[in-house]
Amino acid sequence: MLRGSLGAAALVGLQACASATKLAQTSAAPPPPLPGKSISLVPLRVSLDQLIDLKCCLRPLRAAGPNLGTEMVRDTLVVHNYGHGGSGWSLSWGSADVALGKALTVFPKEIAVIGCGIIGLTTAVLAQQYGLKVTIYSRDPIQRSRSFRASGSFTPSSRIALAEPAGPAFGDLWEQMARFSWKAFRTCLGLPGKPVEFTESYGLSDTPPQRRVWTPDPAITDSYATKGTPLQHTEFAHLDERIRDIVPQSVALAPEEIPFNVPYATRTSQMHFNFSSYAHMLQSEFFGRGGQYVMRDFATPAQFADLKEKVVIHCTGYAARDLINDQTVIPVRGQTGWLVPQPEANYGVRYKNVSVLSKADGVVVQNNSSTPELGDMLGVGNSMELVNRADTEAALKIIAPVFAPAARQA
Amino acid sequence: MVRHARFVAILAAPLLLGASPSGTSTLKGVYTEDQAQAGAQLYATRCAMCHGRLLEGTFETPGLQNRFIVNWSKAPLSELYDYLGRAMPQFAPGSLKPDENAKIVAYLLKANAQPAGAKPLPADTAALKRILLEPVSAKAALKAK
Ligand SMILES: Cc1cc2nc3c(=O)[nH]c(=O)nc-3n(C[C@H](O)[C@H](O)[C@H](O)COP(=O)(O)OP(=O)(O)OC[C@H]3O[C@@H](n4cnc5c(N)ncnc54)[C@H](O)[C@@H]3O)c2cc1C
Ligand code: HEC
Repeated sequence: MLRGSLGAAALVGLQACASATKLAQTSAAPPPPLPGKSISLVPLRVSLDQLIDLKCCLRPLRAAGPNLGTEMVRDTLVVHNYGHGGSGWSLSWGSADVALGKALTVFPKEIAVIGCGIIGLTTAVLAQQYGLKVTIYSRDPIQRSRSFRASGSFTPSSRIALAEPAGPAFGDLWEQMARFSWKAFRTCLGLPGKPVEFTESYGLSDTPPQRRVWTPDPAITDSYATKGTPLQHTEFAHLDERIRDIVPQSVALAPEEIPFNVPYATRTSQMHFNFSSYAHMLQSEFFGRGGQYVMRDFATPAQFADLKEKVVIHCTGYAARDLINDQTVIPVRGQTGWLVPQPEANYGVRYKNVSVLSKADGVVVQNNSSTPELGDMLGVGNSMELVNRADTEAALKIIAPVFAPAARQA
Repeated sequence: MVRHARFVAILAAPLLLGASPSGTSTLKGVYTEDQAQAGAQLYATRCAMCHGRLLEGTFETPGLQNRFIVNWSKAPLSELYDYLGRAMPQFAPGSLKPDENAKIVAYLLKANAQPAGAKPLPADTAALKRILLEPVSAKAALKAK
């Protein structure tokens, strides 16, 4: 067991006072530990022999935020629902609700949904809940979509838009979608197979944690406006403050509580999605309500109008860039490594920009470290969708020391 | 669910669309801009806390665009007017004065792409029975977005 050492408590008592003052600058003050209690955790096995999968994926970033616009293709109303950046899972229900709201204004009885990633499948199920007959036309089922190559946490404003081009009104729409989705996910908590789950996530560091404050780099004079692509982190929209009232925030742990081989730690409760059971849940509902799935690959948007359904919701994610020639879709490459599931070690850890999260569908490892720190710029403009094993190996090396046995004796 | 039953019945008889013998339709412009503006102010103070500043609703409370207008379309406008008079705002049903109610209905029509006109919407159930809430065409709805 990893265990915050009670014995050490007295020893570090003085330091604890000093560091607690520093910590207060970034997080809420630590609550007094329950008498005689320290956090005990089963250590995660983060060795290379546990690695069972590597996945790479492109986040479909649009500067203006997801495309939820509408257009007529001959006699067919097309409602778009794509371009959710690093937030597609998190915003899926709210975004589906917005898109369907537009579709419903023309009184359809049946609709087509194009694409079966998390956006398409969720849109299809919500449409059924609104009383519509739904057929999904897609090249691949969700298990083979890019959505299954995400990491799967509730991160609703991750690479969702750029602040300037999206404009001030986007914040309201985003908040509506984020709140709607949050409530929808809440209805999945506690279901068999745990499609949605909360776990504790620990932010670890060797130095007192400081919230990274990004300021625009004066050396960079160009921006999305001049180059058509963002050039620095501060161009991205960061909206999480708007839903602070419902999303758990981090608290600092007292030194004697910290069950890892580091001097500083914060803890937060994080909502995540277990892909296998979540997809199973949605597919069961979709087919249970009589939904039809047709394997179909579209070459042009003109083909949307060939479908018998005259209302079409278009959810092809990154593929929309080519399919409907939306060159405003910017690829943001991301890679995940997957370790053997470790249900007995049910938590997540972040350390030096490497994150490890233990989920029912595997332990997901992400390496967001870079020098200099790139923040949201990491992977922007990179459409190389092949995995790089060395990147995940490096992540495991970086994170391994926090689970080192030394921590357990100290 | 009375309203739901009505919705189904209407879907079953789509050919009645537009048939409003001796009456008129919301597409002809049945409220004034001034009325809708006054309605927007009433909405902001009496309704927005539940239905959202932008009429967006929440996971639990219905929004008052899109799906809402579908629910109430193809029926006399009196149904919506009477419902608001009876049931809204939910914490104080029956508290809307008839002219306030008409202003709010005008605002909801405007927010759902229905055109304004020269004459104000009457604050009177019998008169509103002769006005059909007709959906705007897909193209007009798109333009308004
Ligand atoms: C590394 C990484 C980590 C991420 N982590 C998170 C996270 O923690 N939380 C979060 O919310 N989001 C996360 N994301 C973002 C998320 O993965 C995306 O926003 C989401 O997958 C987009 O879903 P989608 O349904 O729009 O697209 P996709 O999953 O790409 O689905 C598109 C669908 O359309 C079909 N299709 C495509 N082209 C055609 C065609 N021509 N004809 C017919 N069908 C077609 C495909 O087969 C597929 O079914 C992450 C992304 C990456 C890369
Ligand atoms: C305290 C919260 C609250 C307030 C304030 C409120 N409503 Fe409602 N409203 C609801 C709820 C909840 C419903 C769903 C009906 C139900 O559950 O009985 C609803 C339903 C409606 C509907 C029907 C929606 C549909 O799609 O069928 C309309 C129209 C409506 N409200 C208009 C208004 C107007 C106009 C006001 C202000 C005068 C108002 N409401 C104030 C909570 C509220």
